[in-house]
Amino acid sequence: MERVRTGRGLALAAGGALLLAASAGAAAPGGSPAPGRGAWVHVRVEEEGRGSKVAVNLPISVVDAALQAAPETIAADGHIHLGRYGHDRHDLSVADLRRAWAELKSSGDAEFVSVEDDDETVKISRAGGLVLVHVEKPSGKESVRVEVPIEVVDALLSAQGDELNVRAAFAELQKRRGDIVRVHDENSTVRIWIDEAN
Amino acid sequence: MLKMVLIGAVAVPAIAVGSVAATGVVVVDVKEPREGHHFVVPVPLALAQAAAAFVPESKTRVRIPEKAARYLPVARQALEALAAAEDGELVRVEEPGEKVSIRKEADVLHIQVDDHGEQVNVQVPIRLALSVLPEAGGRITASDAVWALQHARLTQVVDVQGKDGEHVTVTVY
Repeated sequence: MERVRTGRGLALAAGGALLLAASAGAAAPGGSPAPGRGAWVHVRVEEEGRGSKVAVNLPISVVDAALQAAPETIAADGHIHLGRYGHDRHDLSVADLRRAWAELKSSGDAEFVSVEDDDETVKISRAGGLVLVHVEKPSGKESVRVEVPIEVVDALLSAQGDELNVRAAFAELQKRRGDIVRVHDENSTVRIWIDEAN
Repeated sequence: MLKMVLIGAVAVPAIAVGSVAATGVVVVDVKEPREGHHFVVPVPLALAQAAAAFVPESKTRVRIPEKAARYLPVARQALEALAAAEDGELVRVEEPGEKVSIRKEADVLHIQVDDHGEQVNVQVPIRLALSVLPEAGGRITASDAVWALQHARLTQVVDVQGKDGEHVTVTVY
């Protein structure tokens, strides 16, 4: 009988030791599943005057997940409700923008908008598969350059009525590799681009 | 009979130590070289959780504002996507005398701050962050937060190195 009890004690001790080993094993950092190579959105902001540099690198899947889960008030089913801006004479609804875009797109490579005044020059044009927005100060010290693939604009305007399909636009943007935005002024530079480097 | 007593004498402390080890221990290590002090405080997680459970719920519940709570699903989805993403540096901020870096390595977010010589290193397992994120209703209890440290086992979650040589570490075993 004593041998039986001793055996039970040993079995309990062994069981305890196994439990400890198992719990330690479960707690040890496990290898994450090997994910495939994905695209990253990079943002760089540099301010020479302050000597500051900010770099943000986000996997596109993270941005996409955030967009998919965005609350209804910001994006309902991937659409942002815009409506008309105020009541002044320069209202431009998304529906108007959609019609204008359809006509501009069919015109091929061209300069859509060119505004030159004392302060700055604004040009919006199409070059190949890109819509280019270029804003420049006469001094040459400040410039903004935005490059948006045509497919992104198409996707953005693919919704009905006064809605923008942000989710579809971002899905298209994920295919882009290279610069999207470059801003340069006297004190700072901003660059946003997509590539596969992390 | 003597054998039974001996087995009991060994088994009871072994089971007690095993239970504490199985549920986790937080060890706070504080070194103050100027004063010559060195404190090591081990806190079993089960004990901390039990203590937290005795605190009145109204004092321990953190109510997330409704506006912020609506973004909790977004944060959860983003964290899950981050866990599945490749490793890399997510954020780097450099200013004169200050440096901040957040990078992802496997399941852990490493946050490093160097503020004019004072260094803070924090390691947050993404599973820990996910388990601390409140579910619908936007509420989390202190007891839940303590228990979430289970996901940080075998991790030095905090390492603070002061300018004057003070050194504080918090490790979860």
